[in-house]
Amino acid sequence: MRRIRPVLALLVLALFASPAFAQDTTITLGRFFGACDVSGVSIANAVGEPCIIQAIVDAYSEADNGVTVDTLPTDWGNYYDQIKASYAGGIDVDDWAPAAREAVTFDGRIYGVPMDAHANLWHVNMELMEAAGLVNADGTPILPSSPEELLAHAQQVKDATGADYLAADFAQFPIGVRLVMTLVWQQGAELFADGVADVDSAEAVRAVETIVSLFDGRYADPRLDYADSQQSFLDGEAAILVNGTWVVDFYDAQAADPAVALTDYYAADFPTLFAEDATWANNHLWAVPVNTSRDAEAYQAALGLLAHINDQNLAWARTGHLSVRTSVLESDAYAALPHRDEYVRTAAIARDVVPVVRYDAIQDVLNRELQAIWLTGKPISEALGDADLAVQDLLD
Amino acid sequence: MTSSAPTRSRAARRVRDAVAGYLFVGPFLLAYVAFLLWPFARGVWISLHDWNLLAVAINPDAKTFVGLDNYVRMLWGDGLVWSLDHQWGVRLLGLALVAGALWAWRRGAIGRGTALAAAAAGLLVFGFALGLHPGEGGRWGDRRFWPIVGNTLTFVALTVPAVAAMGLALAIGLNRDDRRSAVLRTFFFLSQVLSVTVVTLIWQLTLSPRQGLIAHAFRSLGLEPLAWVTSPDLAMPAIVIATVWWSLGFAMILFLAGLQEIPAERNEAARLDGAGPLQLLRHLTLPALSRTTTLVVVLQIILHFQVFGQSHLITRGGPNDATQVWVRYIYQTGFRNSELGDASALAIVLFAFMLVFALLQMRASRGEA
Repeated sequence: MRRIRPVLALLVLALFASPAFAQDTTITLGRFFGACDVSGVSIANAVGEPCIIQAIVDAYSEADNGVTVDTLPTDWGNYYDQIKASYAGGIDVDDWAPAAREAVTFDGRIYGVPMDAHANLWHVNMELMEAAGLVNADGTPILPSSPEELLAHAQQVKDATGADYLAADFAQFPIGVRLVMTLVWQQGAELFADGVADVDSAEAVRAVETIVSLFDGRYADPRLDYADSQQSFLDGEAAILVNGTWVVDFYDAQAADPAVALTDYYAADFPTLFAEDATWANNHLWAVPVNTSRDAEAYQAALGLLAHINDQNLAWARTGHLSVRTSVLESDAYAALPHRDEYVRTAAIARDVVPVVRYDAIQDVLNRELQAIWLTGKPISEALGDADLAVQDLLD
Repeated sequence: MTSSAPTRSRAARRVRDAVAGYLFVGPFLLAYVAFLLWPFARGVWISLHDWNLLAVAINPDAKTFVGLDNYVRMLWGDGLVWSLDHQWGVRLLGLALVAGALWAWRRGAIGRGTALAAAAAGLLVFGFALGLHPGEGGRWGDRRFWPIVGNTLTFVALTVPAVAAMGLALAIGLNRDDRRSAVLRTFFFLSQVLSVTVVTLIWQLTLSPRQGLIAHAFRSLGLEPLAWVTSPDLAMPAIVIATVWWSLGFAMILFLAGLQEIPAERNEAARLDGAGPLQLLRHLTLPALSRTTTLVVVLQIILHFQVFGQSHLITRGGPNDATQVWVRYIYQTGFRNSELGDASALAIVLFAFMLVFALLQMRASRGEA
């Protein structure tokens, strides 16, 4: 078993077959992405991760195929814990993009179905950027190419609009960890590799200092959580929001809503502040628990559902995620998705975390120590030193 | 022998009583063994192993017996030294409490056994244990464990007295036989029936620095809203406030039951003798409620040592572990990091802590009575 990727990546399908209950084989699908508040929406009309995945699954469940799917939504943070506490027909694997296929392959065998590649983007409020003079002649935003330029742009936005330059969830969800990782990678370093932690390197210090300088200048507020940072962006209180590809269609829909302050929305590639291009990325993938594969009927039903989800990869990519299927990536329909042409480079600069067994715990350590820096004023060297010891313990 | 017949029948009755007795406690005993003793014993067994949740689930032989290693790493460290002035503030306070216990014994307020037990425990904890810390180049085996124990104790120390005092005040205020009191009693008890998820949702909405009720109130007064959940100083008070609001109803009901057992004639007699409301409270109500108070305090201590939902859902243990509590640490160690051996050891030590507190409290209350 490849223990590394499945722990890193997002997945799962927990199945309980109960064929005696009805004609249909009932399988239970466990997923995160949140609950969809609207029922009965078609795949084509669904907006946002929860509703698009729900529409895809419902379409399969309602079709006359002898399979009924019960969905068990749970929240993102507890999802992996639940998988660990409870305990991979019809798919053309050659259509998968090489990186996605590699993400589900171990020792030459495929153990899951990739659904997307997702990465951090800079979500931009063009109205604020325009006011600060940060728009190119071709209408694209002017983004910084160095930490110094980052601060200069932040000052320009503050002077012209009074708004924050950048918002992100630095308080709870590990966006801060992913940001620091990205800035470390952009300097050609790693936070850990080959079983050795290097969290207190000069590159890491520089990455953290770059972010802290935004807080010190009051260009960003580290105390906002996911919902609050997103709300401040939608309310026009921040020019940039650092968040993933999963919200592009949602922000696009919000910008079209006259009741929302954000009106001119742009989804930009993560800018390169140092020498190398990089942005944090990962895959969502589906897997079937090993005990389900012993029940042939349930296993076939599950594979049928996964094949259907794979077929609907374009619909899923509408969220903003990058498709994993070459046929979709090359299609006109994919290229025509809103904002898709604005972040084409993301696929090339996307970078995954080095595979490690205890990534969850390592991410917790980094999140805790980074928050200690910007929320409780712990000195950078001390926090990174403590994180280095703790990460090394987890690697040993 | 004339006594043999009665003796035989007495013996037969004793057997019959025993059988009936076992039949009565049997079903409970069965459930108790199956759902409490057996899992507990298994927890102890797991805590003696290096036991990865996923690895052992797939291959039952993937565990190693390590004896007490998990406990040693949790409780101890390398290169620990003892200093007189380490954490002196808390330690002086603790030693003052020890002196208080001895003084109370001299005055006859508490029994000798209680006083000596409290003094010995206090000297061990405050005089010795809190003076330990890693010396130059030393480190705790688990650097997060003791701070998390401290957080949990802080949470209990802030929550339990507040719940007891406010529950008592509400009970005294609402111990009347009119419609208004009945309605208010229901209102105050309502929060108790909510699940922890609902309680935390309500308080997340109340505390949010952008959309929260408290933030709106602050803004309307022209003040900068407080970022409760992300502030290292306000995060713990935030979950304490949510918990007090949640637990108040139950304490109030227990105190009301206690108050209604005090005969009305006794209050009347005291009042006729010229006792004012404060004297009545101090010399009549509080002594009569001593058993109820003990019950409330013991139940609340045991309950709040196991705090999880409030920390997990409101603050996620943050910022920087400021609200990380014992049970959430067990949960994360076991289910997030898959270290079931360490998690079980943590759980066993938590059990021992709670047992000590409950015994001390029960002993102290017996001394009073």
